[in-house]
Amino acid sequence: MGYGMTDQRKTANRIRKFFNNDNTVGYVFAMPFILGFLGFSLIPMITSFVYSFTDMTFGAKDIHFIGLENFKELFHDSIFLKSLRVTFKYVIISVPLKLTFALLVAFLLTRKSKMVTLYRSLYYIPSLVGGSVAVALVWKQIFARKGLFNVVWKQIFGAEAAVNWFGDEKLAMYPLILMSVWQFGSSMIIFAAGLKEIPESYYEAAMIDGANGFQRFFKITLPCLSPIVLYNLIMQTISAFMVFTQAQIITEGKPNNATMMYALYVYNNAIKYSKMGYACAMSWVMLVIMSLVTFVIFKTSRKWVFSEADS
Amino acid sequence: MKTKKIIFKILYHLFVLAFGFCMIYPVLWMISGAFKDNQQILNGGLTLIPKTVIKTNFATGWKGFGGITFTTFFKNSIILTTLATAGTLISSAFVSYAFSRINFKGRGFWFSCMLATMMLPGQIIMIPSFLIWHKLKLVGTFVPLVLPYFFGQAFFIYQMMQFMKGIPRELDEAAKIDGCSKYGLFFRIILPLLKPSIITTIIIQFYWKWDDYMGPLLYIHSPKLMPVSLAIKQFADPSSITDYGSMFAMSSLSLIPVFLIFLFFNRYLVQGIGTSGLKG
Amino acid sequence: MKKRLVAFLLAAVMVLSLTACGDKGTSENTDNDSKQEQTVTKPATDNKKNEEEKVTLRMAWWGSQTRHDRTVQVIEMYEKAHPNVKIEYEFFSFDDYFTKLKTLVASDNVWDVFQLGGNFPDYMEKIYFLNDFIKDGTIDTKKISDAYLKITQDTAGNQIGLSNGLNTYGIAYDVDMFKAAGVPLPTDTWTWDDYADAARKIKAATGHYGTSSFTSSEFNAGCSTYIGQQGSLGQYGFFNLELTGMGFTDPQMLAPYIQMRADLIKEGASPDAGAELEITNIENDFLVTGEAGMTWVAVNQFPTIYDVCEKQGRTLALATLPRVTKDGNAGSNIQSSQMLCVSKDSKHKKEAAEFISWFQNSTECNNVLQGERGIPINEDVRTALIANATAGQKIMYDYVTLVGTFPTPEKVNVLSPAGQDQVVDLYRTYIQQVVSGEITAAEAAKLTYEAAEKLFK
Repeated sequence: MGYGMTDQRKTANRIRKFFNNDNTVGYVFAMPFILGFLGFSLIPMITSFVYSFTDMTFGAKDIHFIGLENFKELFHDSIFLKSLRVTFKYVIISVPLKLTFALLVAFLLTRKSKMVTLYRSLYYIPSLVGGSVAVALVWKQIFARKGLFNVVWKQIFGAEAAVNWFGDEKLAMYPLILMSVWQFGSSMIIFAAGLKEIPESYYEAAMIDGANGFQRFFKITLPCLSPIVLYNLIMQTISAFMVFTQAQIITEGKPNNATMMYALYVYNNAIKYSKMGYACAMSWVMLVIMSLVTFVIFKTSRKWVFSEADS
Repeated sequence: MKTKKIIFKILYHLFVLAFGFCMIYPVLWMISGAFKDNQQILNGGLTLIPKTVIKTNFATGWKGFGGITFTTFFKNSIILTTLATAGTLISSAFVSYAFSRINFKGRGFWFSCMLATMMLPGQIIMIPSFLIWHKLKLVGTFVPLVLPYFFGQAFFIYQMMQFMKGIPRELDEAAKIDGCSKYGLFFRIILPLLKPSIITTIIIQFYWKWDDYMGPLLYIHSPKLMPVSLAIKQFADPSSITDYGSMFAMSSLSLIPVFLIFLFFNRYLVQGIGTSGLKG
Repeated sequence: MKKRLVAFLLAAVMVLSLTACGDKGTSENTDNDSKQEQTVTKPATDNKKNEEEKVTLRMAWWGSQTRHDRTVQVIEMYEKAHPNVKIEYEFFSFDDYFTKLKTLVASDNVWDVFQLGGNFPDYMEKIYFLNDFIKDGTIDTKKISDAYLKITQDTAGNQIGLSNGLNTYGIAYDVDMFKAAGVPLPTDTWTWDDYADAARKIKAATGHYGTSSFTSSEFNAGCSTYIGQQGSLGQYGFFNLELTGMGFTDPQMLAPYIQMRADLIKEGASPDAGAELEITNIENDFLVTGEAGMTWVAVNQFPTIYDVCEKQGRTLALATLPRVTKDGNAGSNIQSSQMLCVSKDSKHKKEAAEFISWFQNSTECNNVLQGERGIPINEDVRTALIANATAGQKIMYDYVTLVGTFPTPEKVNVLSPAGQDQVVDLYRTYIQQVVSGEITAAEAAKLTYEAAEKLFK
């Protein structure tokens, strides 16, 4: 053996150094994500990007490169343009409502009571089951012409007052919005976690200054929670843009495409009409729009998100 | 003063309970539907108590179809969900540690990649992914539904990162002084402290995966490998008759595992959400 | 020193276990999957060793639980009679079936035996023509008339598949509701004006919808038929016979029909888009729930709804599709409900064809299937089923016989070109826009025509 004790130790040292180097450790731990990203996101994304410049149909073998045709056609497609408007309307109404609601309930449930855990579970149940097909069918039934809503409504306002939710272009969106608001559980839990971390001393100080409940909420709770509001806002905005299952099962985009959400139209084109290339182009436009919206939220957040350093 | 307080307290609880009841009413209606026949479900309005209790829905529903019972479907769901959840936990914990605690070259880049995948509409990669799995001859098995979960899920990585930011850095320093390597730090210090966040992940990933319908639809061929979510949809075929009672019976049963997981881990749920990292 | 060594070892172990962990994770679940796979295909591989000819066929269909149960039952019968054949089956709801089929087309892996309807041109490149199998007798057609073979041939005369059953469209109606409204019952030559008039009167007298709208039938049974009813026999069709373009040139031929549909909806005599959503299948159509006087049906659906209504104490009957003029064309055709096809990807095309032949020709098999997919095309099988028909089934058989007596053009086209789904969706949107006053019926007709025309460009 030509190696001396010191040599061995040196090698061992070098190996150890290598393994403990921040770069090595970082890549060792991040490896699952990096591999997964390349394999399950990047390669399919590139493929889909290439498809968006072709006339690929789902199932067919011969694919022709057609340049920007798909993108040009998009802006002449009246249903596509309508789906953009409809999706924005959905996002703009449902997200703030859902967050307000989640925050209020989370606030309501900050009282120190043994029942609070139970209540929180109760309010979390809709989020727990909301994704299932069966619940969407139930929702559809509630807002049907003879559903629960109209049964109650007619008792109060008379038989003529029945609301034709899904038949009226102006109304059809609202049951979907309500369903999204109904599933406020996960935002509520995140708010609750944030509320728990606001130091009691802030409130005590405000009490001494003679601030009432409302003032305490707006001067202390809200600013302290603003980073969490930002987080919830972004997460919920993204998921609202992708809303699909409810629209597909409850309204199918009807009437007159008044609930034709972007993701549903992408799906219809890809699967129902087999226009894969067109659908790929559409989903890339969607990705760009969503990135822009997220970017704008981030930029404006500087104005209303308080960081600890400010206080 | 004291009576006023008590009255207020009672009102509070009444209000919260009544409101909570409205919240879960649709779920209750579905469960009651499991005891109704088609006629009652479609025309009987939305009363919770069935006029005549039909007990056969569960037995009929459980028989499944084509000779395959719900025992098989539940078994498949449990295998799929457990594996995917376990995979998500392990890989996401690793990756979040790298992103939040280790200062390696390219961290910013990979982190933005992760954020980007969170925003990616699923439809974009659906067909290309399918073709890749097909080339690997793995379509028709559980692999495409499980394997990707062993490579970290962006949403949970992000959640865990937020939680980890709340774990004081002083611990890292202390561990370092004790001669603990970065690996040891993760396994001995961070991982145990991450428990609440891990439990949150279990709950959320479990019910996401349990409800997942599109994935099995694309990748599972044989009815023998179908999970519950897909099997339930088979009860609701628009082109022919649908047995709503059985569908609701099986839907109600399908919620039980989700509820159990939720009840079991419920008290950790709020603890597990890290928010300290969100603060600027 | 010791500490450092420990740390190093620990680190090394960590690294190793990390990779090991990763591997374990994946290999564990591949194991699991292969196990799963094995249990499924085990009988096949086991027998392969013993018997060289062992064949595994993959088969799929869409439908409801009744169809699933009955089909699985006959598959087991077939396997018992043919021990060398093992059939691996899959079944789905309608939408899921086609999603699945498209992914399989993309990956050249279509089931050996699969079910298709009038939308088969979408899947042409995967269909293996049965011509040779019929010629060499692998598929027995002795008891199947040429006319019934023709309903599943393409325009060039290739045998696409073997029809699962005959079908045609009709209008199912509630006899008592017609009487209550004082409307004469439909005759074999009633017109669209009679139809609209009946719908309005039923609405006025009972407050219910005059006609419901089971939308999956409406486009073919209504809009498309309306074109074929105009001009001389066989002069027009919605699409041309070769399925290469439109079968009529003046979009305004559609306008009166669209106007009628929109008017009925506006007046509340037919459900609007919102109410239509409540109809998820024929069983909860408003006719069946007692909220409408009429609805469109594909006649194989009739026995089911007849039975349901009978239980409620109501009587349903079947009327022919209304005509444009009393002495004009009927426009109705006997067509195939759906068919079983052999895929080009199949490695066992002959065995697949043998199974299809048995599926249509065996009385034993069809006694289990009970004509749930449509009226059997094999004479003997049909006679056997008619002998034991229920009241609803009898009405269906009589109706199909009646429609068969109507003069029909030499050649008809009952096929849908690839992409028709989108045209139908657009057509429905345009009707909704006429209802809301956004566009006129004439514009809707023009837009529908343009959308359909675009399919061929």
